[in-house]
Amino acid sequence: MNILPSLISVLIFPAGLTLIFSGMFYEWIDRKLVARFQNRVGPRWFQPFADMVKLFAKEQITPRLANPFLFFGLPVLAMAGALTSALYVPLMGLQPAHSFPGDLIVTIYLLSLLTMCIGLAGWNTSGRFSLVGATRALTQMFAYEAPFLLALLGPALAAGSWQISEVNRYAQTHWIVITQPVGFIVALIGLMGKLELPPFDSPEAETEIVAGALTEYSGRGLAIFKIGKSIELIVGITLVSAFYLGGLNGILPFLLKTIVVLVLMTMLQTLLTRLRIDQTVGLWWRFGTILVLTQIMLIIFLRSYPL
Amino acid sequence: MNTEQNLKKAEWLLTSWNKETTHPEPNRLDFLISAVDLRRAVTTLHDAQWGYLSAITGLDLGVESGQLEVLYHFCNGPAITSLKVHLPRTGDASLPTIEDIIPSATFFERELSETVGVQITGAKSMDRLFIPDDWPEGVYPMRADFKIEQAAPVEGRYVDEIPEEGIVRGNTFVVPIGPQHPALKEPGHFEFTVDGEVVTAARMRLGYAHRGIEKAAESRNWIQNLYLFERVCGICSHVHTMAYALGVEKLAQVEVPMRAQAIRQIVAGLERIHSHLLWLGVAAHEAGFDTLFMYSWRDRETVMNLLEQITGNRVNYSANVLGGVKCDIGLEQVKVIKQGLDFLEVRIRHYLEVVTTDAMFLNRTRGVGTISYAEAERFGLLGPTARASGLVRDIRVEAPYGSYTRFPISAVTATNGDLEARCEVRLSELLVTCFAIRTLMDNLPEGPLTVKMPRKIPVGETISRVEAPRGELFYYIKSAGGEYPARIHVRTPSLCNWVSVLEKAVGRQLADVPMLIAGMDPCFSCNDRVVTVKHFSGQKTWSWKQLREYGIEYYKR
Repeated sequence: MNILPSLISVLIFPAGLTLIFSGMFYEWIDRKLVARFQNRVGPRWFQPFADMVKLFAKEQITPRLANPFLFFGLPVLAMAGALTSALYVPLMGLQPAHSFPGDLIVTIYLLSLLTMCIGLAGWNTSGRFSLVGATRALTQMFAYEAPFLLALLGPALAAGSWQISEVNRYAQTHWIVITQPVGFIVALIGLMGKLELPPFDSPEAETEIVAGALTEYSGRGLAIFKIGKSIELIVGITLVSAFYLGGLNGILPFLLKTIVVLVLMTMLQTLLTRLRIDQTVGLWWRFGTILVLTQIMLIIFLRSYPL
Repeated sequence: MNTEQNLKKAEWLLTSWNKETTHPEPNRLDFLISAVDLRRAVTTLHDAQWGYLSAITGLDLGVESGQLEVLYHFCNGPAITSLKVHLPRTGDASLPTIEDIIPSATFFERELSETVGVQITGAKSMDRLFIPDDWPEGVYPMRADFKIEQAAPVEGRYVDEIPEEGIVRGNTFVVPIGPQHPALKEPGHFEFTVDGEVVTAARMRLGYAHRGIEKAAESRNWIQNLYLFERVCGICSHVHTMAYALGVEKLAQVEVPMRAQAIRQIVAGLERIHSHLLWLGVAAHEAGFDTLFMYSWRDRETVMNLLEQITGNRVNYSANVLGGVKCDIGLEQVKVIKQGLDFLEVRIRHYLEVVTTDAMFLNRTRGVGTISYAEAERFGLLGPTARASGLVRDIRVEAPYGSYTRFPISAVTATNGDLEARCEVRLSELLVTCFAIRTLMDNLPEGPLTVKMPRKIPVGETISRVEAPRGELFYYIKSAGGEYPARIHVRTPSLCNWVSVLEKAVGRQLADVPMLIAGMDPCFSCNDRVVTVKHFSGQKTWSWKQLREYGIEYYKR
């Protein structure tokens, strides 16, 4: 009977339902804080949930030119990727449900699956706005993916393991944000790029291309994509705070540290103007990547020749 | 050079083609020329840099006279020169295009051909700009013998733009912006051909908010028209009534009391603050800086409340009546307005600092859509868009009217001509406006608010120009001596500024396009006032009676 705990861990806690609801809760904190910073009232606590209920109840319209199999399959694949990635991170400050050496790389690529699916979905629906949005989403992915990965590699190198649970354990005794501040900033901003939050929201800049790659999506498909995104939000935040903010070893430190990261992200969202896609790419390759590479060089150097 | 000398110079320039000079107003000369000489006459004025082409007005002189009249208005400070061309009503009513000499004329010419039915020969594009696609050929709404039955929609003019195999041809495809699009707060249609992210061609179509106001004006009396023209624009409703009222008062030779003039100016100033803050929010939103958008719109509420405090209304203020103003400003209100201005000035200074120092916002505005002084002049730009390029186009300075003759203001200009400069000009201008409002309130003259206006306005024609928040607003008003106007032609500032968007979008990134559109502060409902009959079902034209019954039925429920 050891399939039952696995099933529970996948479907209910810590992944599955709990994850979906906490993702929505974090999305609410994000929306509410941005609204308050912008002098608005903002949504009530159940708003993200109500949005999902509404979207699931709505008709889903399939564009004439889209391949229906891909059109329905891509959102499911995107959410599956996000849910799977949750198994390898210390959600709620608990031990990851699954763990093996090198799972860091797997997690990061599972997280990228969402962006890939959004890009493909935009290409598949072949609307004008979707096409521009898909191109931008994929272009942006090439911009932030490398620096984000490198920024997470910094703590991994310091811990001497590419296993998330090992890094988490190492981080509990070392506040890496103090020793690798550049990596923390790059990881934080890279996460915002991954989630297409302002100022990196040019793939879905509504004043230019309506809703970008997801313009033609409605109903269930859109809802599943959105859920995938809120899961990615919580998984990404967990990863960054586990690596940089002294590890996650309980539910309280988890809540505290992830919310600190979220607040930092909402502040940046409020303060910054959207970047054009060429500016985004320029920013990442000219500054982000080079800064974080320098830092990694330093780490490798210091580990080989300790002071 | 003063007005007198300017007009003399124009007369001297046009001697070779001038057949008859008339002097309809002290500051205006009309020169009758024949259609074949038009291009040479326009070139002469243009080469001598005698002012700028402000509007082209088309009139139908009536079935009996058998003539159409086209007026090309050139403005130079307060001096106006109109080139008058007479064309036959039937048969060959055509004029050569002047868009190669003056680019902004293209929109005037298209409006002329659609509404009055003057064929323009040699123009690059004569696609319909204002009237709907299913409007029948050869029916011109501003003709004197136009009947509503003629405007029954015709089928088969629509072209389905999306081919079955998809929309991508080679590397380029068309990104449509509008008529319904999140970037546009009002309906307009733009087609940008993009190659990847770069715009390679731009096209536009207007007319989605046509209400046929100019035609409607012909069947309303002078007083009713005041309220009709208030509805041309929802943002600058006051300046429209002001332009209209100033024109009609000029025709009736009525002198408006000083106090009324001052109050008109105060309301106009507050309206400018409201309009520019609204614009700042929209521009920030287009750039993806929603925080600035939310804050500037929050502060706009202050000025809306002040306007409500004075006039009782927040959007269509109805402050003007013919011969004066409706509402007084008492001591108590002066205090409230001053408090409001104190707050607004602090905020405006803050926004000025934000738009000139915020690095991320400057990323999207500095060096984007730069228009040089020469280009601004060539495109015929107006208002803040022109002033951002260093070109002083401000009627309050060039041809002061109302209280501006007593309390002159200075024009705010910048030199860079990019989006940053346009933000800067608009916001700095607000500080000047705040100061002007304070001055007016401190020197509010005593006296009555209105004078009596005659019901019938004497025969005559006049041009009334005022500075709207977006630039020069141009009204041509012609009276045949009755209770109803013979012709009112409105040229709104947005129409002149479109050229800048279409020319500047090419070669830029798609991401800059909404910013460019917002940069000139377009006002679609202003543009689209000309003439149409809207049909609801797409199948039939509604008569006035039917519409009335529909309205009554609708509100009974």
